[in-house]
Amino acid sequence: MKEIVAQLEAKRAEARAGGGPDRIARQHAKGKLSARERINLLLDEGSFEEWDMFVEHRCNDFGMDENKFPGDGVVTGWGTVNGRIVYVFSKDFTVFGGSLSLAHAAKIVKVQRAAAKIGAPVIGLFDAGGARIQEGVDSLAGYADIFMENVLSSGVIPQISVIMGPCAGGDVYSPAMTDFIFMVKDTSYMFVTGPDVVKTVTNENVTHEDLGGARVHSQKSGVVDGAFENDIEALQQIRRMIDFLPSSNREKPPVIKSFDDPDRRDMSLNTLVPSNPNTPYDMKELIEKVADEGDFFEIGKDFGKNIITGFGRMEGSTVGFVANQPMSLAGVLDIDASRKAARFVRFCDCFNIPIVTFVDVPGFMPGTKQEYGGLIKHGAKLLFAFAEATVPKVTVITRKAYGGAYDVMSSKHLRGDVNFAWPTAEIAVMGAKGAVEIIFRAEAGDPDKLAERTKEYEDRFANPYVAASRGYIDDVIMPQNTRHRIVRALRQLRGKDVTNPPKKHDNIPL
Amino acid sequence: MGDKITSKKFAAEAGVSTVPGHMDLIKDAKEAVKISKEIGYPVMIKASAGGGGKGMRIAWNDKEAEEGFNGAKAEAKASFGDDRIFIEKFVDQPRHIEIQVLGDKHGNCIYLNERECSIQRRNQKVVEEAPSPFLDEKTRQAMGEQSIALAKAVDYDSAGTVEFIVDGDRNFYFLEMNTRLQVEHPVTEMTTGVDLVEQMLLVAYGEKLKLKQKDIGINGWAVETRIYAEDPYRNFLPSIGRLRRMRFPAEGKLDKGEVRIDTGVREGDEISMFYDPMIAKLITHGKDRDAAIDTHVKALERLEVEGIQDNSPFLAAVLNQKRFRSGKITTNYIKEEFPDGFSGADMSEKDERLMIAASAYAHGVNAARFNDISGRDEPAHPARTEWVALVAGKAVPIRVELDEKGAEVHFEDADKTIQLKTNWRPGGGLMEGKFDKEDFALTLKPTDEGFIVERLGVTARIIICTPATAELHARLPEKEKPDTSKLIMSPMPGLMVSVDVEVGQEVKSGEAVCVVEAMKMQNIIRAEADGVVAKVNVGAGDAVAADEVLVEFA
Repeated sequence: MKEIVAQLEAKRAEARAGGGPDRIARQHAKGKLSARERINLLLDEGSFEEWDMFVEHRCNDFGMDENKFPGDGVVTGWGTVNGRIVYVFSKDFTVFGGSLSLAHAAKIVKVQRAAAKIGAPVIGLFDAGGARIQEGVDSLAGYADIFMENVLSSGVIPQISVIMGPCAGGDVYSPAMTDFIFMVKDTSYMFVTGPDVVKTVTNENVTHEDLGGARVHSQKSGVVDGAFENDIEALQQIRRMIDFLPSSNREKPPVIKSFDDPDRRDMSLNTLVPSNPNTPYDMKELIEKVADEGDFFEIGKDFGKNIITGFGRMEGSTVGFVANQPMSLAGVLDIDASRKAARFVRFCDCFNIPIVTFVDVPGFMPGTKQEYGGLIKHGAKLLFAFAEATVPKVTVITRKAYGGAYDVMSSKHLRGDVNFAWPTAEIAVMGAKGAVEIIFRAEAGDPDKLAERTKEYEDRFANPYVAASRGYIDDVIMPQNTRHRIVRALRQLRGKDVTNPPKKHDNIPL
Repeated sequence: MGDKITSKKFAAEAGVSTVPGHMDLIKDAKEAVKISKEIGYPVMIKASAGGGGKGMRIAWNDKEAEEGFNGAKAEAKASFGDDRIFIEKFVDQPRHIEIQVLGDKHGNCIYLNERECSIQRRNQKVVEEAPSPFLDEKTRQAMGEQSIALAKAVDYDSAGTVEFIVDGDRNFYFLEMNTRLQVEHPVTEMTTGVDLVEQMLLVAYGEKLKLKQKDIGINGWAVETRIYAEDPYRNFLPSIGRLRRMRFPAEGKLDKGEVRIDTGVREGDEISMFYDPMIAKLITHGKDRDAAIDTHVKALERLEVEGIQDNSPFLAAVLNQKRFRSGKITTNYIKEEFPDGFSGADMSEKDERLMIAASAYAHGVNAARFNDISGRDEPAHPARTEWVALVAGKAVPIRVELDEKGAEVHFEDADKTIQLKTNWRPGGGLMEGKFDKEDFALTLKPTDEGFIVERLGVTARIIICTPATAELHARLPEKEKPDTSKLIMSPMPGLMVSVDVEVGQEVKSGEAVCVVEAMKMQNIIRAEADGVVAKVNVGAGDAVAADEVLVEFA
């Protein structure tokens, strides 16, 4: 018996060693942690249960039968984050560069299926060199098996990807189909084809960092939802994020004890909107003064900054905040902002997270760049997402709500449940100047008359009361009471039960 | 009395001592030596057109006077094209001490002792106190009586201030008279018990002063600091913006003293570039100077300002300096003590322990709450007690026992257990309590990992983690500073409202570079890193495209 135990221990030790101490040391020198170190940071201490540590590949070509490592380049299993089950796979760059074999893929598929069955999130940590070329089409089959599970699990369980090293070619598409992607600055990159191929095909010289570094994807492409300084910070923040999310679409979001008074009034909000309607202000201040304890987990912070999206809590329970940001491009809706917010709204709707929307939007962004880029369809995504969402929807218009953008931003007409406006709200088809120039075109040559008409228009429409008189706004509230009123609205909506007509799935303008 | 030369003449006529000097032009070095001797060394030889230290010499003897005259003359000619030279008494170890006077329309006038305002930055008063730690009763009386003589000479019938410069030997010289209520008047009110504004209104109404000179005593000590909207870490640049958070310590008793706040701003107000950067005055009173300063430091600890940068970290650093505490201050204090500007106060071992304990507590309270999150699949483990605090490149092992009202923190490296008591909860802003039985207050903000802890000009990032995580931290190499882009690009198509930098200008990260208007909204574009402007490609009024390069850094 002693020998048998010793044999097991020896086999385990071999698997845990990964690619060996030298390769792990090299990993550290590059500023990266090992696959197992990362899992230990992500999960509650001692909670990780590893599966398939003895799995080996079955490839016999190119001398691969001589070259085997138990685990085959990925560490998989489950554990807990603050006691709640999550499934994990973590690519091991020290074994075959983390490259994907059929056996490696089967390990990932196993945790994906278990997670979907149980109803728990899957978190993938990526640091790998792509397909195991020696395996040929088996490797491609392995990728597709993973993609298939990503798709089937989408909207059923939260799927989160963290890119912590190379992630190229076939490896990028599994993360791309998950709900959120995060990256680690300076040590990770992500692209479909690398700089060498780019050079051959397009004669373009570009570095890994400039082609697919964390900055590129968090600021320019919008592919990733956040970038962190190092592995430790990134995994800490993933833990923080998990605490906001329900484990599956069958559950309500988790609740924690809140130390914040739900009736807290904040007098300083009364001066948030500046007296000059063209002066920007920071909408994030409103979110941070409304949410419990000012705690806000922002999604897509550096991309499409004219809209803010992220998670906070009200009375200890998760809500998704969506808010126009007047500080950036006047809070206008453009392609980036529409795409970013639409995806966020759909995530919230999938996972029973109420949506709180703060509106200060002057309209859609004009210009050839936007129209050529397909603003019509991208803008429609946000409209579609808000309209189809059946979770509780509470909206507060703080200042401008002009034109079609008013409709889009979770208006009453798109089944907004509770729609408030601050007294500073201006709900109209457009700003006064533009409106007057159209309505009173005949008087265009007379500046005095136009000024008079502008004043007339402002008095009539630059307020929330026309909308309120139609019932499009349920109440005009004092800014200081915003938190209290949202809390009560959400309490009132706890029993909300709305379903969309039965269908295979909708056809959102992708 | 507003005019300096007229008031100086008046003062001299009223028997008030003024800075001795020779106001006529001096023709050569020989005459310069003669005049210097008459005035008495040390003397200041200065160019009529001088400024910024150019064309200025201090002479302590005949030889230096001769050299100084020739040097200053040559420099003045070269720099200003004007070589006229004056000589006046050089005041060594100068202090700014002023006398509060109060007169009525019936010829009565009293003095309400002095205020010392030597702590100044670029002639802007920063710290004021009453009484002065430097004056003796004899000098006080002499200054007071001369001030009254001056006030009476001009029939002054309100509250006013006679400013003096005082040298290291307590010789005092008249500077000017301020015919108004001064910013620093509260320290006089708190030490004399006289409401100056009330008295001003009464005498203006024509009432007779009821107060007699013998009624005016000195009760304890008062200190005032001026809270300015300026960034001490960036060479005191004005800081404008919205006061997202503005919390003052409560007025009234604090520690062994008393707190008074004079302010015109509230949380949510906008600090604009159009007004004086002073946002508040903090005044404390104690039975003696140490008590007043102690209370003052405690009050500064409890001041919370967010949205703009204020100078309170700098004020706290000044008040905590040994030299300030000793009272050996001059108007050159800030120049001498902070020759390279201010970069934060140093963290003492005590500060470090406090900040670690506070972070460990905050971390623990939050962890305990998440341990109770709904929907757990596995039972909660008892809270961990062994932790490592990472601070300033060090790993400090600690043991933390948490309860409702605080924590017992055992520092293994010091083999010492210290009690932290506080009612703080996450989201609670200021953390106040007792650490090792001493009062403290600090602010603590969560970051992606750990906290930024700030207290009295000391700032630290503290990470509380498990020993295993601490080991992983040690394995990760220090990151090189990322190379941030040298280009400022327009984020959108729009119209340039202004370009606020010029070629060659040094710009700090976060500073406004230009303003672009689009959608009729003004967007301030800020530098993302420190740098020197190499190229400005646009001017106000230009139409710009999205991603157009506006400004390039070297």
